[in-house]
Amino acid sequence: MRRHRWRRWYYRARVRGTPLADCWARPWPSTRQAWLDYEYLVCDAEMSALEVARGELLSLGWVVVEGGQVRLDSAAHHLVAASRSVGQSAGIHQLRDCDLHGAEPEALVLRRLCEAARGRILVFHHAPLDLAYLDRASRRLFSAPLLLPYLDTLAIEQRRRERLDTAPQPGALTLTACRRRYGLPDYPAHNALVDAVATAELLLAIASHRGGVDRQGRPRPARLGDLSRH
Amino acid sequence: MVDFLSQTPPFGELSPEALVAAAAAMRVSYHRQGEQFHADSDSDSALRIVRSGAIDLRDANNKLLDRLGEGESFHIGRLNTAGEDKVTATVIEDCLLYLLPDADYRALRDADRRFDRHFHGQRDRRLRRAARYEPEPHLMTQPVSAVMCRDLLTVAADATVRDAAVVMSERRVSSAFVMAGGELCGIVTDRDLRARVLAPALSPDTPVRTVMTADPLWIDADASLFEATLAMTRHGCHHLPVKHDGGLVGVVTTSDLMLARQDDPVYLVQHISRQETVAGMVEVLRGVPNLMVQWVGAGIRARQVSRVLTAISDAVVVRLLQLAEEELGPPPVPYCWLGFGSQGRQEQLLGADQDNGLVIDDAMAPEHAPWFEQLATFVCDGLDACGYPYCKGEVMASNPQWRQPLERWRETVRSWTRTPTPDAVMRVSIFFDLRAIHGEAALCRQLQQTMLEQSSRNTIFLAALAANALDRPPPLGIFRRFVVDRDGQHRDSLDLKKRGVLPITDIVRLHALARGVGAVNTDERLQALADSGELALVDARNLTDALHCLQRLRLQNHVDQQLRGEPLSNFLNPRQLPKMAREQLRDAFAIIHDAQGAVRLRFRQGLG
Repeated sequence: MRRHRWRRWYYRARVRGTPLADCWARPWPSTRQAWLDYEYLVCDAEMSALEVARGELLSLGWVVVEGGQVRLDSAAHHLVAASRSVGQSAGIHQLRDCDLHGAEPEALVLRRLCEAARGRILVFHHAPLDLAYLDRASRRLFSAPLLLPYLDTLAIEQRRRERLDTAPQPGALTLTACRRRYGLPDYPAHNALVDAVATAELLLAIASHRGGVDRQGRPRPARLGDLSRH
Repeated sequence: MVDFLSQTPPFGELSPEALVAAAAAMRVSYHRQGEQFHADSDSDSALRIVRSGAIDLRDANNKLLDRLGEGESFHIGRLNTAGEDKVTATVIEDCLLYLLPDADYRALRDADRRFDRHFHGQRDRRLRRAARYEPEPHLMTQPVSAVMCRDLLTVAADATVRDAAVVMSERRVSSAFVMAGGELCGIVTDRDLRARVLAPALSPDTPVRTVMTADPLWIDADASLFEATLAMTRHGCHHLPVKHDGGLVGVVTTSDLMLARQDDPVYLVQHISRQETVAGMVEVLRGVPNLMVQWVGAGIRARQVSRVLTAISDAVVVRLLQLAEEELGPPPVPYCWLGFGSQGRQEQLLGADQDNGLVIDDAMAPEHAPWFEQLATFVCDGLDACGYPYCKGEVMASNPQWRQPLERWRETVRSWTRTPTPDAVMRVSIFFDLRAIHGEAALCRQLQQTMLEQSSRNTIFLAALAANALDRPPPLGIFRRFVVDRDGQHRDSLDLKKRGVLPITDIVRLHALARGVGAVNTDERLQALADSGELALVDARNLTDALHCLQRLRLQNHVDQQLRGEPLSNFLNPRQLPKMAREQLRDAFAIIHDAQGAVRLRFRQGLG
């Protein structure tokens, strides 16, 4: 987790008074702490194209992990009102233009995200893609990228497989494949919230495998650094 | 989430809105194999639903109450208020759990009657299951009628003693009830016939009435086994008539009482010998690992546990041989089934693979070979199915090399002792610990006689065996640190069997062969060696203690692994031992080191 001290300092004037500034006011998490001591906001975004230049954010789902447990009462799913038609990606996401009625403007969804992310660490499966869209939305709204602490379950798994000298296999790092390695069940649907919950469960599995179990059957929690160093 | 819940029994009953609300209140957690939930450590009390993985529920005595899989749920706080037992839940396969907080759980039970009823029913079912897993506390309280024999033999009061003896022999029972006018008036047993008829030389035509025990003690059918046992011991009798509503309904004997103890090893062995199919034996043996946990918990010592486990595997072999003989017909010539290695030494623990062979009478003709081949294949396959996996070194009767007439076996032994190649020495360490399991024991005795004759004065052979025994130094580094595997699956662990138990048996076998000691069990060998002066008494005792210490740690390790739901292995991480046990382990290895030094001096002098 890179600290964005200088970049935040550069943008500090622009974000003043926004929900993002509240997030920045919180202390940066310490990698030496047990991972259980922090709260996490596990997010997943759906978009209309893989390149940020050609795509639009379609929906955003998130769920909170607190004290090593996924809190389903915190689950949220927001459809984003698109400026253009959904087009080709309807096949991938099963979202059609008509489904997007009841959708909210991107700015409102991002504000809600910032409120939910306050004091929490963001978690994504394949962070670069989701963050590209979220940073763009943030630049549009706050004139600054998010610059929040985050974990990437895909990167953690990728690093682990490199360390084990496992030959890279296509598809081995998809969310479903990662979950299967930890004995987690498959989820049929494919929407932002379901994927966020699925990623949250994967985070729990990874974290408890990075930790240990003592002779009395008590879990020994991993430190945040065991998850973030990739 | 909602999909999964709607397919999970109690939640499927809920209305869609209530289901969504319940799902929204839930939390998800993930647990590694080996983690435990206790009532007291459970700060946030909740109903836990297994989404994937498996969980064992055990009571304070480590008795398995229930094994939960996908879709099943438990509430650790409630389990502990329902009964007084301290129930713990152990994750035996990595688990994803859904938690329904206690408040929401209670609200749902209050709101929905069907939901509530499920959990009531579940508790009953769990109690029933617990009773099945837990015969012991219920044993002494169950009614006599549950175990009594209802098939009664009655004789009239004026029948002769001979008549009574004839029907008793026909029915193969040891007691008969004497009836007069439909009422029980006495009982006559084998002992009565011996003491009151034969000894005073009465005529066989004496009426039963004069020798019977009149007005015998009886017990009501609703009385507990405890009362029955008490009555029998107090009055020194072995048969107790059982009455119900004044009429005679059955008899309970001391052996019935013993058979009621299902967790008793004796019962288990008898139960195995009554199975008619391999599948039935597999079913009986399924409970053995959990029984092992209970025996160790009850304080039975490692040496006795290994004897019991050997007795069980002997019973399995014997029964398999009987089943095979029923199928193939009687053996054409006498044979003897041999158990080698740990089974031979009666030092078996769980997870051992099979080491066996067949020695056949020299009268065997070539046309008899197929019969023995079929026999051996049947038994070895059956053993594998029963949890004694095939031997990796092919030391099995199904291998024609180890299914030979006595003379060929002797020839093989002679060739090993004449030219002790490394391969032959390795064979000796397995084959020279042999025991007759079933069949003509004389064949086994003659073979062992040859082994002892060939080895006791053969210094070259003994020196080769000594080299083998010295091949495995104990895993202690300088400053008495443990040497552990640095990588691989058993990182930071050491193999207690390979590094501890086998070196001791190698050393003791070597001394025993040199002295011509016929015993095979390591304890007995050490005793004989000490008695004959081959080993100093203190050395023999040290080796005995070291072996017991190692076996105890191995057994405790198996128990821990069984409780954690791991496969059994002999690998142990010394760092996880309590300090005391670690010191004992160190001492045991130090004793092996000293004993190896003595072997070097005695058998390898001048050989380096």
